[in-house]
Amino acid sequence: MKIDKIYILLIGCMYLFFGFVQFLNGLSSIFLGFIPFNTCISVSGICIPNIFPDVFSGIALLTTGLLFVSSLYFYGRDVIKAKGYFLVGWILAILMLGLNIVEILSNILDAYYPILFGGEPNFVWSICEDSWGIAPHLLLGLLILPMYFENKIYLSELFPKKFYKTR
Amino acid sequence: MIRVALAGNPNVGKSVIFNNLTGSRQHVGNWPGKTVEKKEGYAKCFGEEMYVVDLPGTYSLSAYSIEELIARDYIVQEKPDVVVIVVDASNIERNLYLVVQVLELGVKTIIALNKMDLAKSTGVEINVKELENLLGVPVVETVAPKRIGMDKLCRKIIEMKESERIQMRIRYSDILEGAIHDLIEILEEVKEFRDYAYRWLAIKILEGDNAIMQEVEEKIKTVSLKERIYEIKKRFEEKVEDTEMYVINERYRVIQEIVSKTVHVSKKVTLSDMLDQAFLDRYIGIPIFLAILWILFQFTFIVSTPFVDMIGDFFAVISNNMANVTGISHLDYLLFGEYGVLNGIGMILSFVPLIMALYFALSLFEDFGYVSRAAFLMDKLMRKLGLTGRTIIPMILGFGCNVAGIYGTRIVPEEDDRIIAIVTNPLMMCSARLVAFAIIAAAFWGSMAGTILLSLYVIGIVLAVFISLVLKKFVFKGKASPFIMELPPYQVPSIKVAASQAWARGSLFFRKAGTVILFGLLVLGVLATTDATTLSFTDDVQNSIVAVIGKMLHPIFAPLGWDWRLVIAVIFGFVAKEIVIGATAMLYGVTEDEFASFIAQHYDPVVMYAYMVFVLVYVPCIASIAAIKNETGSWKWTLFTILYEVSLAYLLGILVLFIGGFI
Repeated sequence: MKIDKIYILLIGCMYLFFGFVQFLNGLSSIFLGFIPFNTCISVSGICIPNIFPDVFSGIALLTTGLLFVSSLYFYGRDVIKAKGYFLVGWILAILMLGLNIVEILSNILDAYYPILFGGEPNFVWSICEDSWGIAPHLLLGLLILPMYFENKIYLSELFPKKFYKTR
Repeated sequence: MIRVALAGNPNVGKSVIFNNLTGSRQHVGNWPGKTVEKKEGYAKCFGEEMYVVDLPGTYSLSAYSIEELIARDYIVQEKPDVVVIVVDASNIERNLYLVVQVLELGVKTIIALNKMDLAKSTGVEINVKELENLLGVPVVETVAPKRIGMDKLCRKIIEMKESERIQMRIRYSDILEGAIHDLIEILEEVKEFRDYAYRWLAIKILEGDNAIMQEVEEKIKTVSLKERIYEIKKRFEEKVEDTEMYVINERYRVIQEIVSKTVHVSKKVTLSDMLDQAFLDRYIGIPIFLAILWILFQFTFIVSTPFVDMIGDFFAVISNNMANVTGISHLDYLLFGEYGVLNGIGMILSFVPLIMALYFALSLFEDFGYVSRAAFLMDKLMRKLGLTGRTIIPMILGFGCNVAGIYGTRIVPEEDDRIIAIVTNPLMMCSARLVAFAIIAAAFWGSMAGTILLSLYVIGIVLAVFISLVLKKFVFKGKASPFIMELPPYQVPSIKVAASQAWARGSLFFRKAGTVILFGLLVLGVLATTDATTLSFTDDVQNSIVAVIGKMLHPIFAPLGWDWRLVIAVIFGFVAKEIVIGATAMLYGVTEDEFASFIAQHYDPVVMYAYMVFVLVYVPCIASIAAIKNETGSWKWTLFTILYEVSLAYLLGILVLFIGGFI
């Protein structure tokens, strides 16, 4: 198995694991009122990755993981399907990475916008206290981001203007 | 002034071309008497003033849907100087059907061959000169988001205005052309049809178009002429089995001939083919859809939150600083009080970031090409429930905010389905109701609160499906929507287009819905601060007119087990569901923190569950009502929504108490 496939398998499994934990934590927090799994590693007080309880976020992570792992399964059988599964997984991963970044920026803005009007911050923002913080979406999204270069030829079809200018 | 109509299939970039031409000189409204959006604007190109109308996106002019009828009637009756048909170059075969139909109308036509970049990137090569030659009209290559081809399009419009009427170059089979020729000879003798394109009229007669046949019946007074028309039609029917299908097939035959001579596809497997392997997969496609909805939902609320807070704080500060500025308590309250003009404007503005964020995100997904895939994926399931696939998106958005959900129904193209989606959307439990219910559920059911909340979500969904089925069966019966689903190639969405959509929707909401909300808040503000006996200002709501109304209405709600305070609380909930808990706590003289334990001591769990079901269903908040009025364009549907929801809520409340009596 080539190194890139091992890398995809590894990241796919991590998506599945974190997704499963988040899904269970989400369900448990709704129906039982507590969070059963705390799998983060504390680095200088920052929980990495912060698996906040959320059923739908868990489904999103699980789906992404499933797409990556399935793409490897299909490689020997149907290359088009394998590529499609991987690329959709990659797009979902990048969307979630973007969402995590937007969430952090939005919370920072929510905390400090009163300063713009000469007031005191609403609250002191810290990555340790952020409801998402460094979530699996951010962490795994950054890890899968370089796979763009591996699939540049396909993904460039999403940027049609380049073709228009070069021809 | 040159009058230009923009026609085209949905999602071909028509609106972007319209925005490019008109810039800020545009007005968005509805077509008279319809919920279909009408965009019109003014453009100035090379010194020429133009009036541009963006016709609804349609796949044909067959008058099966309201959009098709509007587009057809506009071209036939309003007679624009030039019709610009925007064609998706990456999907030219499907788009040419509308082109052929417009050409039958004999109007001066220009083809804007849009998305040329996308076509080339997916291996589609088009011989534009040959296409012009075969169709007999100018063809301009455009890439609307980059404004490529806009100047050329403008020049062609000006040239076309000055040119002769176009000559139809498309020729159908001898059988059809013979019948058309015979009919034209007769129609030329009828002066009432002098304004019509005879060729188009002849084709419509042969197709058996109901509206045109009615006109033939009414306008042709000479019996012999009428008989000759029916004779030709009968002869044509004898030669071909299904006349309408024959004409459709002829159009497609001509289109295939044109495509075979002008289009060359060099690449077999595209990125879209690959992505659709997963996006449209019947198994993995559903969780992908849920994941994307979750991303859309999160993005909308995450992005809008700081701006909503900012607006809220800004108006709170101003209100506090101006609390006693006039010294007349009632006037001060009306202007700067909790339900006053200033806070009303603040409340309306606080919805604007939510709507803008929603439309920004929706536009990105639509431009990317996913929305049509989601609709395709869900269509089979949703149709079984009496809904169309596209309805699923506004339904889910309604869980966040019904206003967002109602505005989200714009992606449902068929008018009937859209009205159903609008009037059932308030049944989706929005986040405001979730906040109120979470407090009550935690007070009564502790660790089981989540299950109780889930049951309320389920009740909302089941009721929405039920009402949809009833409306489909009894109100919109026999109006089957055509199953045409467009799957455009995927592409990176344009931020500029999404931002412009967001701005247009946000400002439209502020102008249209804002006035209704402000008026509603003022009325409630006056009633809640006017003493029922002295008609002077009071800050004690228990002596206000609202309290009197609550006490008057109390006997109606007594069977539900409420006291008059809960009646007033639901009246306040009409303003915004967020304030139901606050209002109830205020009326009982407890703080919001003490409220949970207080009601747990004073009410039976079954009564409180029935209360929650009532609040879930009874009536949308004033912002939702304004959105319903705005989107349906009708007070009839707005009042219908209020009435059916109040009645349904009451009946369900009684039902819950009845069933609860056995537990």
